[in-house]
Amino acid sequence: MGDLRLEGLALGYGPEAVVRDLTLSVADGEMMSLLGPSGAGKTTILRAVAGFIRPRAGRVLIDGRPVDDLPPERRAVVMVFQKALLFPFLDVAGNIGFGLKMQGLDPGEIRRRVDAIMDLTGLAGLGRRKVHEISGGQQQRAALARALVLQPAVLLLDEPLSSLDANLRQQMREFIQQIQAETRVTTLFVTHDQGEALMMSHRVSLLLGGRLRQTGTPRQLFYRPADPDVARFFGGENFFDGRMENGLLKTAFGDFPAPDTENNGRRPLATIRPEDVRLAPEAGNGSVMGEVTQTRFEGMATRIWIRCDGGLVVALTPESRWTAGQRLAVVFPPDKVRVFPA
Amino acid sequence: MVSGQIGGRDARTRAARWDLCLAGLLAPALAVMLLLFGGGLTLGGLQALGYLPGAGMTELTAAHFTRVLQDPDFLTSLGLTLHIALTSTVIAAVVSVALALALTRWSIRSRLVHFVLQVPLTVPHLVVAVSMLFLLAPAGLAARLAAALGLIASPGEFPLLVNDRGSIGILLVYIWKEIPFIALMVLSVLQNAGGELIEVGRTLKAGPWQRFRFILLPVIAPSLAAACLIVFAFTFGAFEVPWLLGRTYPMSLPVRGYKSYADVDLAARPEGIAIGLIIALVVMGAVALAVWLNRLAGSREAIR
Repeated sequence: MGDLRLEGLALGYGPEAVVRDLTLSVADGEMMSLLGPSGAGKTTILRAVAGFIRPRAGRVLIDGRPVDDLPPERRAVVMVFQKALLFPFLDVAGNIGFGLKMQGLDPGEIRRRVDAIMDLTGLAGLGRRKVHEISGGQQQRAALARALVLQPAVLLLDEPLSSLDANLRQQMREFIQQIQAETRVTTLFVTHDQGEALMMSHRVSLLLGGRLRQTGTPRQLFYRPADPDVARFFGGENFFDGRMENGLLKTAFGDFPAPDTENNGRRPLATIRPEDVRLAPEAGNGSVMGEVTQTRFEGMATRIWIRCDGGLVVALTPESRWTAGQRLAVVFPPDKVRVFPA
Repeated sequence: MVSGQIGGRDARTRAARWDLCLAGLLAPALAVMLLLFGGGLTLGGLQALGYLPGAGMTELTAAHFTRVLQDPDFLTSLGLTLHIALTSTVIAAVVSVALALALTRWSIRSRLVHFVLQVPLTVPHLVVAVSMLFLLAPAGLAARLAAALGLIASPGEFPLLVNDRGSIGILLVYIWKEIPFIALMVLSVLQNAGGELIEVGRTLKAGPWQRFRFILLPVIAPSLAAACLIVFAFTFGAFEVPWLLGRTYPMSLPVRGYKSYADVDLAARPEGIAIGLIIALVVMGAVALAVWLNRLAGSREAIR
């Protein structure tokens, strides 16, 4: 059992407010990512949940009980830091069993639990190694095992993959996902990497400028961003406005249904992801003409900038036939256009 | 492949040239050190072995070492020297660790605190010893102040703190001088890693005492031990403070060695030098241990 709830949390250092009015729930067994750019306040929130920072306002509840008066060592949460921070004077098994030893468990029980968690985390056979004798990935796994062996109600992961190289990072993402699925430990995972958050989490909370902007499933945040800032964070580049008329947003790129914004005369903003923009050599139904101003090869796809009457459009396409100066037709499929509430 | 081999050879040639250049740059300093230190040590060694042609002694013998080691007064002096070196080192270490921990918690970034801590490092031992003499002697400032305040009837009633049986004056000088040295060494380790590992300890459910016992002590142990060994080596071999603040009997080993060396009877000189060499041996052993512990501390830093 381990559900986490943050209610109206305000956090800061000195006179500066870092996080304002944050309310967030992580259900028992859920893996939630706290996503945001550097300086958004993600780590500050994690430190408040761990007990290293006292909130200026609001409450932290674990399993429905407020824990604000408890020091970190008495909370049912364990935090894994950006760096592995293994104790250099202990071997791998000593590091993993450290928390159990602090709880006064007998050595036999400690050995049994450490062996079990080392099996689970793929560290079997490395227990007697010194920590500098194992790789960076193994060090992070040891740090994770050291936290998991305590069977916390809530596991806090503070960008634990940020110091690893790209290949190892991918392996560790899958590894953490698998371990979380097996242990069902409630996990709050902090990252600035949107791909990591989308891939690993049941739900994602996006934090921008110290405020929670949207919480939802990875698909909701990616395809149904709550506002233009959320859309921009997830790579949105095409923003255009129009005029509401009878449930339709009329724009320079076509008319799009907007059931959420039924107020005639208003001018809400809309967006379409670059990969959803359709390109064709000839004008067709619902298309607008434009001219390619720039292209950039990005491996799996090519990014194309197109000057249209309604403004600049960015498209991402697997086709590589478009070149600067070429005229082409641009289509915004209505089901791919997201109209923000006015 | 061929270009790789050529590149490797070029790199080796460049490295060899650089080594040669470094050796050339270091040579003058090394020559002076070898001449003065090595020469002095060789000359001392010869004299300790009884080779003193000026006094008509030309036969090499270990008899002076044997005589020194068999003299009961030597053991008394050794005991006193160990008492001074060990007591001052242990007290300074305990106070330094407490001070470093307090500074970590409250004012690690305070420049003023760091400045104040560095002041004793700049004051020579001799100056501190003379100050202590003025302060703590039976007719010193403290005795007069205590008498003026009515705490004692006359300055003569003031407890004997210099030239005393327990070497309290000597210990106070060394403790005052060495606390900042050890504290700054421990503080630098705590600043580098202590805070982060303590947070890890807290999240792993270690209480305050457990964090000190199972995290801080192991973290600072190599640096603390190295600093203590350096302090021990210095206090074991230092001459001026026990000379000024110590009793005439028993004497510390360095004072005893100096007295034998400076004796009007030249025949006592080999014994004085033998004592000096024994002290040098202990000091070098302690320094070697300190260097090894420092390297150990460095390797621990690297894995975080």
